[in-house]
Amino acid sequence: MSNQTYLELHNIDQMFGTHQALKNVSLNIAEGEFVCFLGPSGCGKTSLLRIVAGLDTPTSGRIFQAGRDITHAPVNHRDFGIVFQSYALFPNLSVADNIAYGLISQKVSTNERRARVTELLATVGLSGSEGKYPAQLSGGQQQRVALARALATSPGLLLLDEPLSALDARVRAHLRQEIKQLQEKLGVTTIMVTHDQEEALTMADQIVVMNQGVIEQIGTPQEIYANPISPFVAEFVGEMNFLSAKVSGVGQMQSGNLTLHCDSSSTLPIGQAAQLAIRPEDVRFQADNSAGNILNARVLNLEFLGSRVRSSLKLEDHERPIIADISMNEMSRLNLVLGQNIVCQFPHDRLHIFGGAA
Amino acid sequence: MHSVTQQSSTIAKEQPWYSAKKYFSHQHQRRSLDEWSLGGILIIGVLALFICVVLPLYSLLSKSVENREGEFIGLANFAKFIDTPSLYSSVSNSLFIALLSMVIVTSLAFLTAYAISRTRIPLKGFFRIVLVLPILAPSLLPAISLVYLFGNQGILKEVLMGESIYGPIGIVIGSCFWTFPHALMIMLTALANTDARLYESAEALGASPMRTFFTVTLPAAKYGIISVAFVVFTLVITDFGVPKVIGGQFNVLATDIYKQVIGQQNFEMGAAVSVILLLPAILTFITDRWLQRRQSALLTSKAVPWTPPVRSIIDKAFFALMILVSSIILGVIAMAIYASLVTFWPYNLSLSFKNYNFDLMDGGGWDSYWNSIQLGLYTAVIGTGFIFFQSYLVAKLAGFKLLKWFFHLFAILPLAVPGLVLGLAYIFFFNAPDNPLNGIYGTMAILVVCTISHFYTVCHLTATTALKQIDPEFESVSASLKVPQILTFWRVSLPVCMPAVLDIASYLFVNAMTTVSAVVFLYSYDTNLASVAVLNMDDAGDIAPAAAMAVMIMLTCMVARLIHWLLGNVVLKHTQHWRTR
Repeated sequence: MSNQTYLELHNIDQMFGTHQALKNVSLNIAEGEFVCFLGPSGCGKTSLLRIVAGLDTPTSGRIFQAGRDITHAPVNHRDFGIVFQSYALFPNLSVADNIAYGLISQKVSTNERRARVTELLATVGLSGSEGKYPAQLSGGQQQRVALARALATSPGLLLLDEPLSALDARVRAHLRQEIKQLQEKLGVTTIMVTHDQEEALTMADQIVVMNQGVIEQIGTPQEIYANPISPFVAEFVGEMNFLSAKVSGVGQMQSGNLTLHCDSSSTLPIGQAAQLAIRPEDVRFQADNSAGNILNARVLNLEFLGSRVRSSLKLEDHERPIIADISMNEMSRLNLVLGQNIVCQFPHDRLHIFGGAA
Repeated sequence: MHSVTQQSSTIAKEQPWYSAKKYFSHQHQRRSLDEWSLGGILIIGVLALFICVVLPLYSLLSKSVENREGEFIGLANFAKFIDTPSLYSSVSNSLFIALLSMVIVTSLAFLTAYAISRTRIPLKGFFRIVLVLPILAPSLLPAISLVYLFGNQGILKEVLMGESIYGPIGIVIGSCFWTFPHALMIMLTALANTDARLYESAEALGASPMRTFFTVTLPAAKYGIISVAFVVFTLVITDFGVPKVIGGQFNVLATDIYKQVIGQQNFEMGAAVSVILLLPAILTFITDRWLQRRQSALLTSKAVPWTPPVRSIIDKAFFALMILVSSIILGVIAMAIYASLVTFWPYNLSLSFKNYNFDLMDGGGWDSYWNSIQLGLYTAVIGTGFIFFQSYLVAKLAGFKLLKWFFHLFAILPLAVPGLVLGLAYIFFFNAPDNPLNGIYGTMAILVVCTISHFYTVCHLTATTALKQIDPEFESVSASLKVPQILTFWRVSLPVCMPAVLDIASYLFVNAMTTVSAVVFLYSYDTNLASVAVLNMDDAGDIAPAAAMAVMIMLTCMVARLIHWLLGNVVLKHTQHWRTR
């Protein structure tokens, strides 16, 4: 991966009638990077992808690809391959003809074309399927053919629009790996649109979390997960418990009767309302007395999830229960039962603080 | 003779065509040369429809408020129409005939469609073919057949107990005969959408079969029934073939236009009557649009098909009804064929082909038959090519929203224009001396243009429906692969839509062969047509040759349908093996 910027988006706005689909979106993508646009439906991620592809034109803003201004370039004057959610394979053409579709207009000779198709089919693991028709392939196989077709002309940019959402869970997990490996091998700059946080976390080099037409946060999967910048990101990527609180001192928060210590170098002034947040897996049940932040709670509900147990805990003096995940190993030691009173701990380095009331 | 049958399930889920909002949103995409050239073709298409549909109708409307000298006289023509008792009585005559036919055909179509889709009667495939046979014959054929059955020398004359077939009775029977297949096809679509879960729920809740029928079956078919009623009403009130042949002294609006224009050369009055005739057609058109939006909302959920239970009494009753209706249809057709083969009715009943010696009769001879074949082929080839490609551009070309909005408007318009009105509008527009297109008047070209325009809407909607079913991202993919869109049309869209293309071609050919209403004003000595020859021979008293020509038209249409079937089931099976897994 080089650090050279390949795609630049400057202040993109997109209006559909009176609805603003994108608000002042700016973004740089480095060459060879795998970027995921992640967000709920209607957040503008697909609009942004379509603008990059030239299928839609932004209301304002500029786009540069490899230094060239492509804001108003027609689709066929841009350099990208695209895979749609529906795959859009031509049903009446064989797999080989589908893959070679873009090569014909590049005046590639028949022999070279055949060699390229064979090579691509081997790359996506479908050797020998040249003569088949799309209807004869499974969803996962169609997906690979669509990928091979998009890569056939060796584009500088690969766009994937929810490419895995039509597949069942097992195939999806498998293809996730494959696409990522293929992308690394070819080194092609890739943008994938998805609403599935797991997909984004496992595949992306950089995740762009979007909400209501704006970019909420850009960062590596680890950054996004460990240091979400807003309650929205915290809740959309992984799960998060929120407690309303008030800043009561330096590195100290007050939530109801609880006084909690925290690490985060927050700039919030004392007395400011804030939200205190912790992920379910970060709640500890083995209290380390020296570290503080120890709370009394009652077990309201236990839900068996296979590898772990999800507990619902009522904190002293707090209306809204929080959830905490307990691994099966720990569970066998704790032996929790419904209604039991227990002690838990919020490690200060795992607490997140967001300004503003809940 | 326009039909709205094939489009009854079409523009579902789409925004209504008139919602201009979605067409006027601001966009400023820079286009490639590829898109500009396809856009150019779309512009040509919009202009063509404007010239062939909109401008003639404008000429007609302006003619209806002018006097013979071309001076504006307001509504004087209409006032004169109302003041003339003989003309005015034809309004009530037309309404009477149309309403009665509407009730009969709607009931029969519902019962027969119910028999096909909701009972366990045998021979459904056979009945389906027989019941739509009348669509292959000109509307004049049943009228001629009725003359032989119940006319002054008819073999079943006594059945009428002294009443004359020449008049309302004949018109109603003849009209019912030829409008029935159109009604049946809409009704079949309406009844085809069953949801077994509704019937199972009704049964589980203890509803009687009668209650289930009135609470489940009938409401689901409600829009279909209303649609059929309106369509039949319009088809009958605008048809002039049947009343011309068997109407006797019973005047209706459609024959009035014909008489005013052809008989008295009173074009202004003809235009005024045409405008009046436009009203029911426009009403039907608006109702149909409205109904389709309501209907589509009903069909959103995924239904589980319903298998009718065995109900021996009901099945037997419906089987008897189907036999009866089929016998009537086959009987009427057989009578026409028989009459055409009888040497000299009713004195010399030996069979011969004497009546097929069209060259000995007035009316155009065999030339008119070949002209019709020519018209059918030109219409099918040029029409299908133009309509499908333009529909493709409207459906799949990026941008040009305003242009597409106008195109859709112009393409839907012909559905609301009766053939007779269109034909007259063509005279006014193309025969005007200052029209640069004046040269095509009286040629085969104007017949082709008029026929394509007349039957445009159903074909456009058939093509649009087929195109909407293919993946909307094909064009984006091919653009990203830098393949010109026209190439993707040729390699993908066209082959995938081939069944719809064949449907359109066959629909156009059959209608070009059987239509009388528009072309009757436009043919010339050199371009006489078979369907018009039927009319003229009948007019001249050569009823047997008229029957023979009608039979020739029907046989030709049957052959066309057979070729369509062969192409669809044999040739396409080979080229479309990708459809099967």
